[in-house]
Amino acid sequence: MRNLSTLKFLNNKIGWLYLLSGGFVLSTALLGLFISSVQVPVSTILHIIIDKSLSLGWLEDIAKNEEMIIWNIRLPRVLLAFCVGASLALAGSAFQGLLRNPLADPYTIGVSSGASLGAVFVLFFQVTIVGLGNFTLPIVAIVSGFITLLIVFGLVRLSSRILAIETIILAGIIVSAFIGAIVSLIISLSDKDSMSQIIYWLYGSVGMRGWSHVQLIVPFMLLGSIILFFHYRELNALALGEDAADHIGVDVKKGKTYILIGASLLTGAAVAVSGSIGFVGLVIPHLVRLVTGPNHRYVLPLSMFVGGGFLILADLVSRTIIAPKELPIGVITALIGAPVFALLLIKERIGRRG
Amino acid sequence: MIKVQRLVGGYTYPPIINGVDVEIEQGEFFALLGPNGSGKTTLFKLITGQLPITEGRISISSKEIASLSKLEKAKKIAVLTQEAHVSFDYTVEEIVSLGRYPHQKGLLKQLSKKDLDVMEEVMELTNIHHFKTTPFRMLSGGEKQRVLLAKALAQEPEILLLDEPTNHLDIKHTFQMLDLLKDRQQRRGLTIFAILHDLNVASLYADRIALLHHGRILDVGDVDTLRKADQLKKVYEVEVTPGSHPTLPKPQLLMTPSYTDSSRPFYFKNSYRIKQTKNYFHIQFEHPLRTISNGVIGDGIQWVKHVCNFHVDRNYNGSEPKKDLQSWMTDYSIPYVQAVGMMTAVMLEDVVIVKKEIEGIHMLAIVTAGVGNAVDITKRSFLGAVQTVGTINTMVFIDAHFTDGALVNGYMSATEGKVKALNDLKIEDPESHTLATGTSTDSLVLGLTQQGEKTPYAGSGTIVGRGIGQMVYQATHEALKKYLKRVHEEGYRTTSERVGVMR
Repeated sequence: MRNLSTLKFLNNKIGWLYLLSGGFVLSTALLGLFISSVQVPVSTILHIIIDKSLSLGWLEDIAKNEEMIIWNIRLPRVLLAFCVGASLALAGSAFQGLLRNPLADPYTIGVSSGASLGAVFVLFFQVTIVGLGNFTLPIVAIVSGFITLLIVFGLVRLSSRILAIETIILAGIIVSAFIGAIVSLIISLSDKDSMSQIIYWLYGSVGMRGWSHVQLIVPFMLLGSIILFFHYRELNALALGEDAADHIGVDVKKGKTYILIGASLLTGAAVAVSGSIGFVGLVIPHLVRLVTGPNHRYVLPLSMFVGGGFLILADLVSRTIIAPKELPIGVITALIGAPVFALLLIKERIGRRG
Repeated sequence: MIKVQRLVGGYTYPPIINGVDVEIEQGEFFALLGPNGSGKTTLFKLITGQLPITEGRISISSKEIASLSKLEKAKKIAVLTQEAHVSFDYTVEEIVSLGRYPHQKGLLKQLSKKDLDVMEEVMELTNIHHFKTTPFRMLSGGEKQRVLLAKALAQEPEILLLDEPTNHLDIKHTFQMLDLLKDRQQRRGLTIFAILHDLNVASLYADRIALLHHGRILDVGDVDTLRKADQLKKVYEVEVTPGSHPTLPKPQLLMTPSYTDSSRPFYFKNSYRIKQTKNYFHIQFEHPLRTISNGVIGDGIQWVKHVCNFHVDRNYNGSEPKKDLQSWMTDYSIPYVQAVGMMTAVMLEDVVIVKKEIEGIHMLAIVTAGVGNAVDITKRSFLGAVQTVGTINTMVFIDAHFTDGALVNGYMSATEGKVKALNDLKIEDPESHTLATGTSTDSLVLGLTQQGEKTPYAGSGTIVGRGIGQMVYQATHEALKKYLKRVHEEGYRTTSERVGVMR
């Protein structure tokens, strides 16, 4: 009986956390829609969104330009920021759980480097694949992210028989370093225009992308999240090590493969639509774990919410802090994320000593 | 339960497991023994399916292991290894809940009421319930291992595979853990298949053992298989002497290191010091002696450096002579853990010390004698013994190397010498008026330097045996004469001693 009551308490606590993080996402979204050079009242914002999404057609009394700004510019931007942040944080928590390494994030495994290379390649050669048009860059980015994943896995398979965690991290780092060198090579070879374009893209941004990019990331995000949510128990089991997970009946190889695919889908799609945005995947899962504990059943969904909300906020800061100019969002996440992460590290060390 | 037939497997060539046949019965505690690299862990990994089977077959409850899915296998077999590293701060309860993995059903795979009940039960059993919300990483080694055991038991397995589960645990936690497992085996019929490093621990807990050597089973049987010293020596390349547990009918093994003591050999005649006062007689050796004795302290077969004989008042009637002796020895700074201790009411100045060299063997006999309660062991009905009064206390020290059997032999020889001395002096049992064979409280210690060639016999058919008899006879004879002279002159003690016996 005592157990049931503690369980209820736990459920309650988790329930509150869901509520809080949901509220965080909504309020950041509203802030993102509200704060800008052109101020639109919140009621009007809500009116536009509800009306548009339900196609009611009662917008006669609202200015066309306000409608345009909110619906075509700010809302997709906020949604994209949410999707990218959520995807990166979810992928980060999955990678950390899988690799049993709190320092792992989507960048460790080489996927985002690969996606970046694809994007830089498109920007440098100005390629447009027939039939894809503006989607050329994101599609190429996702595909090259996947190719990188395959290369990393090929390396792992060649060097160790059992998909060892340490080998995955090592192979990821090696491939990332190699790709980084190629990206630098391309940058140094390009002319001034495309150089700044490439560098700006590499810093990451969710602005001026529009609905098309939201439509692009959502299916990948849904697919990746569903795959990961279905494997939360395997992620928990892997905390004991692969042998111990095997002993309790986990099909370790299959589980690892699914988790890697899910997390790579999320990372690839996020990098494809926004460029490389660091530290979200690293810091957010840490913060969430501090509050919920390490159980992936809660860490995964909450990381998604918090990561999404955080990126909306970061985007808001990036476009308001030196308005009318915009900072790259990757700069903001790094400026906030790196010190926070350093604090977490120190705190953890002190906690362990005490 | 588990049947392994002609099993070959492991990645190396030749394969680590190379033709293993073994069968583990339902509900038994089966220990797999063997040195590092003999293939114990590989055999386990072949059973759990972490390594592929090259040849042969393994079946569990007559089902081939390859035909079982991972989940089916996890419901039948749980594994407990050495301490696992757990990343992130999972709580004890969350770790234990992982044991329910193979049993969880449904799309969401949440913990059901049954899961929670099983978790409660195993946490209660392993005594970890009170820290179930503590992070696993904060626990001590012994607690961690109990949590992992709870996790394994939460799988509700029929078979538990233990891979050196007590390797890094101290003896408290080792025995705690194994007692827990043994209890589960006895009460629930859990089959336990364990790799154990410690042969003595295996002997105490296992029902049967198997000895693995170069990927093959060398021997299978009950724990008395461990008494085959030659076999163990071949496998472990260590000098092993099988002995017995003092209170349990189980073998215990004693290992002998291969280094030699640089202080040996030493010259016997200079290796001891004697101190004698009115209160005690103390002989101290520089090197420990192998002794056999029935002293109040240091009885049985021991290694000691000190032998002493304490004078007590003739009316001494201590209920705890052992404690008294310990405290007296402490008073005179004699370490009682390295000593044989005796008591006597005889005047210690009447001690007789005889030194001899027989066929190059140095011997030393020391006797204090009193026959106030002389007894003919063949005649009198038992009236109760008094610990200290009127006894013959004999110490014999020999510069030779005896086996345990020779020690017992030598003990007999010494006794025979003593009886002969009593008879030659016509000491009588005052009750039956026949010749006495000793007193009711005689003590004897036989100490050996264990130098030189090992001697397996020390009876009357051997030079050393006769030497013991002669020495003891001579010393006892002299000591008794001194005693009788003192009785004659002072007329003391005899009556009162007899009263003491009657009482």
